[in-house]
Amino acid sequence: MASATIERPKPERRWFGGRQGAQRRFVAAVLSPALAYMAVFLLLPVAWALLLAFFDFSPRRTGSPFLGLGLDNPFVGVEHFRRMFDFSSTAPLEVRQFHTALKVTLLFAFIVVPLNLAITLPLAAMIESVRGRWKVLYRTVFFLPVLTSAVSVAIIWGFVLHPQRGLLNGVISRVTGRFTATAWTTDPDLMFLGVPIALFAIIVAYLWQDIGYNLVIFIAALQAIPDSVKDAARVDGATAWQTFRYITLPLLKPTILLASVLTMISAFQVFDLFQVMTNGGPDDQTRALSLDIYESAFRYQRMGWAAAVSVVLFLLVFTISVVQSRFLRANWEY
Amino acid sequence: MATTIERRAEEAEARVAGREPRLPGERRHVLSRAALYTVLSILGVIAAVPFVWMILASFKSGSELRQIPPTFWPQDPTLDNYTTILNDPELPLALIYRNSLFVAVTVVVATLFTSSLLGYVFAKYEFRGRQPLFWFVLATMMIPAQVTMIPAYLILVQLGLLNNLWGLVLPAFVDAFGIFLMRQFMLSIPDDEISSARVDGASEWRIYRSIVLPQLKPALATLGMLTFMFHWNAYLWPLIVLTEQSKRTIPIIQTWYATQHTAQLNLVMAASVLMVIPVLIVFALSQRWVVRGLTMTGTK
Repeated sequence: MASATIERPKPERRWFGGRQGAQRRFVAAVLSPALAYMAVFLLLPVAWALLLAFFDFSPRRTGSPFLGLGLDNPFVGVEHFRRMFDFSSTAPLEVRQFHTALKVTLLFAFIVVPLNLAITLPLAAMIESVRGRWKVLYRTVFFLPVLTSAVSVAIIWGFVLHPQRGLLNGVISRVTGRFTATAWTTDPDLMFLGVPIALFAIIVAYLWQDIGYNLVIFIAALQAIPDSVKDAARVDGATAWQTFRYITLPLLKPTILLASVLTMISAFQVFDLFQVMTNGGPDDQTRALSLDIYESAFRYQRMGWAAAVSVVLFLLVFTISVVQSRFLRANWEY
Repeated sequence: MATTIERRAEEAEARVAGREPRLPGERRHVLSRAALYTVLSILGVIAAVPFVWMILASFKSGSELRQIPPTFWPQDPTLDNYTTILNDPELPLALIYRNSLFVAVTVVVATLFTSSLLGYVFAKYEFRGRQPLFWFVLATMMIPAQVTMIPAYLILVQLGLLNNLWGLVLPAFVDAFGIFLMRQFMLSIPDDEISSARVDGASEWRIYRSIVLPQLKPALATLGMLTFMFHWNAYLWPLIVLTEQSKRTIPIIQTWYATQHTAQLNLVMAASVLMVIPVLIVFALSQRWVVRGLTMTGTK
């Protein structure tokens, strides 16, 4: 009897046959290894970092089989975060260094971003109004430092600012007629408006390396503005400055916001320049957060504490990104 | 009013003469252009001077470099610094270059493969959870390296990849930025060719290889350049992973050499020239790919 039943084809063989099945298998074959990889190298580290922030963990001590946590690496709850608010002079060294680092990083970011925009925006407008070969030449000159490794930038600027052999002191002696071996990056008493000169030295090197990046972004945005708009303004008798102020600038607003936020986010994470140019000195005056995290984790092996500080850094960056999306929600069309 | 009429007349005259009509402000134009080029050139020189300073110092002798105040042009140019460095057994340049090349090239190949494949899947296939998955990929870009580096280090310890160049390569196999870039680029490629290839009976892998990949070429070039640059210049992660001198990459050796020779900056500068200038020339020649990549996405 069974042989009499005719096998009806299934309405849709979803996973294992036919065209659609082949597509699904392809997607599965691509996604499953990728997701497994991302789970190990992206998701696990983030979860692990969050976990570490609640333990007094050092890789030197033995912990339980589970990620080495527990036993000699005890759970401390929110202790790390509570200690971050200990502003007394008896606070442990790492807490005071964290406060210094937070201050240095905020100072650095809030000085760098406005300076960067104040330089790149007019410079981009200037380069954009130049023609042909000259434009490429200027853009290349300002873009070369972007391509240079931060380590080289730090070494080159360390040499430019060297007390005895540096270019800056050489030029100053040429102008004043007297040689003074000013130690720009190592003298803790050099201050300007309460900001250490050593920090300014890093700011200058960072700006030198970084302006080419925003420059390229702004030049592209300027090119996207139709010539007809600017020509119309010119025919109406607007000066170059008026055209820039009332036509170009408003149209660039979204790009300016995006560039300022991206610059801010990367300024919070600068490590190479701080480590190579000053290594946090003099007297921790240039100890940035990223350097503080690196030193705590890998020099002093206080990885639990370092993870807690890195969570704070993440929250800072995250807050800025959220503020960014708020600002960028408004759209400008032309 | 009078000026408008004068201007109209001038414009008409210009048209008759076959010239472009003058716009207001055109007379001041020549002057302001000269000022523009002057300002740009001065700024350009300032931007280039640190490089020049480094290169000039690499041709100075140790005694000239100790002069106070310092000289700008080498008084007695010499190649001694370069011969010293190339004969320094503690600085095996060929080996260090090979280490850096191995890391950068392997990561580029892996990233181009995974990014194009995943970007293609995210752009051209319908499947459940596509949107949240893509958002997850994007979200990982926001996490600072300082957060993940501690656990990533502990993972490498478990895998026994500390002090191994694969320790730099393995965590960089899948790149969220690359996936994003490729997906954006794929969106602009029409579906027709893909579906007609399907009708002709091509397998999905074949479509990826023979139809998708060739069209992605410009995006691949851009991503390849950016990735190469990033890993060639990387400092923090190699500093953590590589502790043995013979395994280290260029930036690590560069700072190590600089701290060893603080009293001989002429040698440090010559070493930096040898480590920076060759790739800088390559980067500069291919900068249009880099520039395109940066402007295409507006992301760092």
